[in-house]
Amino acid sequence: MASIKQQFEIPGKMKMWSMTLIGVGLLALILGFITKGASSDVHEKAVFWGTILYNSIFFLLICNASMFFICATTLAMGGWSTTFRRVPEAISTLVPIFGSVAAILMCYIVLSGKSYIYNWLDPKVVADSVELKGKAGFLSPGLFITWTILSIGLWSLLGMKMRSLSKEADDTNFDSTTGQKFIWRNTVIAGLFIVWFALTVGSVTPWFWLMSIDGAWYSTMYSWYTFASSFVTGMALIGIWVIYLKNKGYLELTNNEHLHDIGKFMFAFSIFWTYLWFDQYMLIWYSNQPEETIYFKDRVQGAYKGIFFLNLIINFICPLLILMKKSAKRNYTLMTFMCVLIIFGHWLDFYQMVMGSVSRGQVSMGWLDFGIMAFYVGLLIFFVGRALASKPLLSRNNPFLKESIIHHT
Amino acid sequence: MHLKYESQLREPLVYGEKTYHQVTEDIIRPIEVKPSKLWYIGFFISVALLTFGVYCIYRDVTYGIGQWNLNKTVGWGWDITNFVWWIGIGHAGTLISAILLLFRQGWRTGVNRAAEAMTIFAVICAGQFPIWHMGRVWLCFFIFPYPNTRGPVWINFNSPLLWDVFAISTYFTVSLLFWYSGLIPDLASVRDRAKTKLRKHLYGIVSFGWTGSTKHWQRHESLSLVLAGLATPLVLSVHTIVSFDFATSVIPGWHTTIFPPYFVAGAIFSGFAMVQSLLLVVRRVYGLQDYITIGHIEAMNKVIVLTGSIVGCAYLTELFMAWYSQNKYEGYAFFYSRANLFSPYGWAYYGMMACNVLSPQIFWFRKMRRNVTVTFFMSVLVNVGMWFERFVIIVTSIYRDYLPSSWSVYYRPTIFELGFYLGTFGLFFTCFFLFSKYFPVIAIAEIKHVLKTSGESYKDNMGKIEVQQPEEFAHEYAH
Amino acid sequence: MAKKKFVVGCFDEEAVLFPAVKKVRTAGYKIHDVYTPYAVHGLDHAIGLRETSLHTAGFIYGMTGTATALGGISWILTYDWPLNFGGKPHFALPAWIPITFELTVLFAAVGMTLTFCYLCQLAPFVKKHHFHPRATDDLFVMVIECTAKTNVDDLQGLLKSSGAVEVDVQVAEEGWWIGRYDKDEMPFENKTAVA
Repeated sequence: MASIKQQFEIPGKMKMWSMTLIGVGLLALILGFITKGASSDVHEKAVFWGTILYNSIFFLLICNASMFFICATTLAMGGWSTTFRRVPEAISTLVPIFGSVAAILMCYIVLSGKSYIYNWLDPKVVADSVELKGKAGFLSPGLFITWTILSIGLWSLLGMKMRSLSKEADDTNFDSTTGQKFIWRNTVIAGLFIVWFALTVGSVTPWFWLMSIDGAWYSTMYSWYTFASSFVTGMALIGIWVIYLKNKGYLELTNNEHLHDIGKFMFAFSIFWTYLWFDQYMLIWYSNQPEETIYFKDRVQGAYKGIFFLNLIINFICPLLILMKKSAKRNYTLMTFMCVLIIFGHWLDFYQMVMGSVSRGQVSMGWLDFGIMAFYVGLLIFFVGRALASKPLLSRNNPFLKESIIHHT
Repeated sequence: MHLKYESQLREPLVYGEKTYHQVTEDIIRPIEVKPSKLWYIGFFISVALLTFGVYCIYRDVTYGIGQWNLNKTVGWGWDITNFVWWIGIGHAGTLISAILLLFRQGWRTGVNRAAEAMTIFAVICAGQFPIWHMGRVWLCFFIFPYPNTRGPVWINFNSPLLWDVFAISTYFTVSLLFWYSGLIPDLASVRDRAKTKLRKHLYGIVSFGWTGSTKHWQRHESLSLVLAGLATPLVLSVHTIVSFDFATSVIPGWHTTIFPPYFVAGAIFSGFAMVQSLLLVVRRVYGLQDYITIGHIEAMNKVIVLTGSIVGCAYLTELFMAWYSQNKYEGYAFFYSRANLFSPYGWAYYGMMACNVLSPQIFWFRKMRRNVTVTFFMSVLVNVGMWFERFVIIVTSIYRDYLPSSWSVYYRPTIFELGFYLGTFGLFFTCFFLFSKYFPVIAIAEIKHVLKTSGESYKDNMGKIEVQQPEEFAHEYAH
Repeated sequence: MAKKKFVVGCFDEEAVLFPAVKKVRTAGYKIHDVYTPYAVHGLDHAIGLRETSLHTAGFIYGMTGTATALGGISWILTYDWPLNFGGKPHFALPAWIPITFELTVLFAAVGMTLTFCYLCQLAPFVKKHHFHPRATDDLFVMVIECTAKTNVDDLQGLLKSSGAVEVDVQVAEEGWWIGRYDKDEMPFENKTAVA
């Protein structure tokens, strides 16, 4: 192994695909706006904005999960992922981009008072509801927008700092003192990121963005559930990029052992997601209080029944049975399949979280959903490809690189 | 064979110039010499406490649990508080041995054995509370699922209390198997260097005829890995099910969906604190500072600050949701009974917040994490805080129920409730003292496994690897 | 059980052991076993052992547990004696998940551990021949069974040249029997007894 291909060159095919997907997405967006967004039917409007909303939040959160992965690994002094560390770094460059889109979108929804998305935006509804009146201090446009901008701004800023530290290391040869110092600086930023992550994704942000769609409903588990869903998808996203780069002949130092561990993360966090899913569902089912069961009433017994159980099959049964075996986690085809399946499954999860309330009683799944998804996937391919090409693929001076090279499961 | 390399930036896990034999010697020696005076003093205090506990239970059985101060609305008091507290403490052992094994955290090797032992003893202590709380304990077989003679009515499989029976007994069994299967090779080491006939005979029995055969090691590794894989969701499930005891009800302050993961985090939090308390003493008394290093203590303190913060996040979520739900009963439980310093139990809520959420934050500072005195003090504080947490959850939610006329007077325990609790301390420490006298408190075979990569004296050899270019290194490794 | 003759070579370094294993095997000898103080990763493949399928057994035990719990509870609560608990349906699946999970884990763990003990013949009062008492301390003990064709001196020479610190020949029982360890010679009392 004389030389390592360090420079990723964006293949023409990839460029073409990303452009096509973005084009299809834009077309869907325009058509959607004409047929639904500009429609006089409130339900159609709600479907249009709701579809954009859940896609924007979903893709933002799964890209941010990459930075969470980097920071958590840094704090745990994990070395195994160093050989492919540039991949989650590249994915996390999308946080400012998708973040800006999502922030603009949500600010627009809130400021234009689209109460068919967030019912607490309608003063009449609030006046009629004791619960909504009581919490109007929290569910207010001002606080919503402030928190949204703060969340996304700090994720982007701290993520950028982490990435610039990693880039800085490319030109430095560490000895044990400067190496310690480098790790220390990483630890500080990673610590800040994790704390902020806990305060946003781990608590307040999903309450605003997602839970407040049903303004009166509440579940203390909701944010952790959202986190689990987005993190497992984030791992699958990292996995699929690693496999893609391996297939193109890059990442020579990343091997089956690393893929195996990514697979383990996908397996373990699929089960963790199910665990949180079960806790939330079972406790509400068991105590059977109308103010809580209203959320599941539509989903389990109403129109969303099929999607609700499909969600559980794709995100629990499939990973459990398919990823349990060691050989499956080291098999490129199976892993590719599982990554795609998990990303799709949790996209579906976000779909039912949002649309189950926005389009109550009528499943809205259709061309618009896949069109917007194509738009985001196209953007994701385009920008991740660009980010990968902008830096060497190997973080060659990282003090844990050699541990990662000989990583053995 | 795999290249023995580890980044030099990692702290050694074993200090000093150690050989394999030296490791065996250091860890087994305390078993082979007479225990110190301190050991005897501690042991007798534990036995005395245990005796008092046994007396309290004797009273409990002959007189009935009316001797406790449980009353109309506070049907669960110190007993269930202590039950949850002990069960929670047990969780750290499984976390260290199973979850950290899956996450390949090398530092677990120094502390897993003692932590697992602690798990088993803590679960035994925890189990006492529901058993003796039954009052007519001779009827405890009622909980077993069999078509019984009380009419063909089965037990209620839909009850969280029954789930608990299954969870705790499974947890105890699996922890015991995990712990003992890890002990077998080390007990064989004790056997093979025994200097007296009795010792050789007894350790010969308990080491099951272990030889160290490669095939056996291969199976042993597979067994450990699968047991770790099983124990990981199991440990989550146990405290989850304990939390279901509360959360499936419709009692304000108990019914909230975040309870399961938050109970698990709290359990790990308190368990690590207990591991710290025990190991700080053990390493000192047995002179094992080379194996249970400051690095180990620091790593555990990191877990404490992490889990403490998760618990804090959950406390605040819960408090916020009590307001956000705009449910007046939830509001009463949280803003009158708990987060109100002037309510009868307000002190417990603020005690809990101070011990569990605020004080662990000092572990953000490296100096504090590596300070033995601070760590010991904090570990006690955390366990006090976690006791408060369970007390707050149980008592503040039920001392005033929906019917004001049945509101209880101020609940405080009798000497027998207190004595029962102290008795479980006696049981726990008696077991732990015996364990530390007769079993290797550190997993010898696992230390040997990491010795050549993470031993202080072996790390120096890695200097020349450290300066290699990645290509060169990868090339060399491939051949 | 008949006694067999074995050539025993002891090594004190993992780094010496692996090349020695390779050398002995390429010379055509079949390694009976290597006794080590800890789990040496990769040694099982080096001496030509196949992967253990213990975890597959564990999976089957686990599934048995799942089936027992789900089958048992659903039979009891929907057929044998259905009862109304809190207005829930008789087939209250979410409420059965905890016990189902616990029994899955219990069956898998107990079943696997017992299978492990059975396969490795581990039990209280079981006694086996130990080729070297330091195999549980700091020596890697390679044992090669002698056949009619084996030239013992050649083999001993080979072991020595590959870095063995101690080499000897032992005649020993291969399997296990019920016995006491204190009936053994006590190597630490009488150092000369150690070969």
